[in-house]
Amino acid sequence: MSDSALESFERIVVPLLDDAYTLARHLMRDEHDAQDVVQEAYLRAWRHYGSFHGGDARPWLLAIVRNCGYTWRRGTRVQRESVAYVEDEHGIGDESHHATDAAALAASDRAELRDALDQLPLEHREAIVLREIEGLSYKEIAAVTGTPIGTVMSRLSRARQRLQETLGLGARAKEGGR
Amino acid sequence: MNCAQTRELLSGYIDGELPPDQAMELSEHLTTCAECAGIYEELLATVRTLREGLVKYRAPDLLRARVRSALREEERPVVARPTPRVRRGLRVPWRSLAAAAILVVASSGITFVATRDRPSAESSIGEEVLTSHIRSLMPAHLTDVASNDQHNVKPWFNGRLDFSPSVPRLEDAGFPLLGGRLDYVRGRPVAVVVYGRRQHVINVFTWPTDASGDAARTLTTSHGYNLLHWRSGGVERWVVSDLNAAELRQFGMLLER
Repeated sequence: MSDSALESFERIVVPLLDDAYTLARHLMRDEHDAQDVVQEAYLRAWRHYGSFHGGDARPWLLAIVRNCGYTWRRGTRVQRESVAYVEDEHGIGDESHHATDAAALAASDRAELRDALDQLPLEHREAIVLREIEGLSYKEIAAVTGTPIGTVMSRLSRARQRLQETLGLGARAKEGGR
Repeated sequence: MNCAQTRELLSGYIDGELPPDQAMELSEHLTTCAECAGIYEELLATVRTLREGLVKYRAPDLLRARVRSALREEERPVVARPTPRVRRGLRVPWRSLAAAAILVVASSGITFVATRDRPSAESSIGEEVLTSHIRSLMPAHLTDVASNDQHNVKPWFNGRLDFSPSVPRLEDAGFPLLGGRLDYVRGRPVAVVVYGRRQHVINVFTWPTDASGDAARTLTTSHGYNLLHWRSGGVERWVVSDLNAAELRQFGMLLER
């Protein structure tokens, strides 16, 4: 019986490892911390697999990853933030596996996007990852982050404006936005 | 709806997350206000750029292996756990394991328990190879070029070494390629090609040798690791893993085929 639960977990949750790692990587901004967080999250997910009632496992798993990430950050404090950020610039190395629509953009552009994203405050980073990379709905993002839908909307709005400015994408938005 | 309200809601409008009546009001405003319409177009372009340009990270193979291994460990009954030292180690935070590995290597110099008598020169090479294997298991040490495609890994060694290691494709036999790296053994650069087997990592060390004659395969065991060594065609080969001896031998045969 426990065998089949593990099989089900391996079929449904383990394949989401890239999703889990991507969120952890942007939360932690450090590849080693991200790996530790994901491993811890998977153990927790497995122990609480009984609380998963079918449907899309991503929001469920990502909520666990996020909680582990926040716990981890509280433990290690924020002292390596600035250092980790510099390291991350050089830590981008797996793009060759994502040849799909990203092929249109040069690797340097993708690195610039990731850098810009990693400069945002934590709440904005996670909102962008969950929306633009994971494609979750506002309702799902609200559930993952434990915030009201209205807050999700305003965080995304601010985060996008910040990214637009950082990346020099919008000339008008600067004077017009709020 | 005025301009300030519109701009506040544009982001949600793009995501299709506004209530229908609000969305309708907003789109009406856009048809009458050129400035808001321009800001809308820009924001839309930004969102497209983000969606196309921000890609998922690929989880490292070693993390994949760690997670699987941790799950298996978790599954096992608490009593009677005849797990080898290293596999249990995979459950503890990675850096502690790495630190422990360094301690083992550094403090003892590793007592090399050979299952058969070999000249001491060879067993000290074995020690070096094993140390390198353990070091490679630390985060970000496993591969310089991470790829499961031999057409990426083999050319990577060009210009970095004065010989070219063979990088056969063994995925169909259950030994996926993980990548390659440069390492040092006996003070000389050597090629290391890395394969996986379930949660196990296999390091294949290759370098050309002046030693005359071939040497048959010998399997030695040290600290729970298996080391397979042979020499043929002027090439030294060491294969190291915590994989069981039978499967490592099978892997060794496939390598030479």
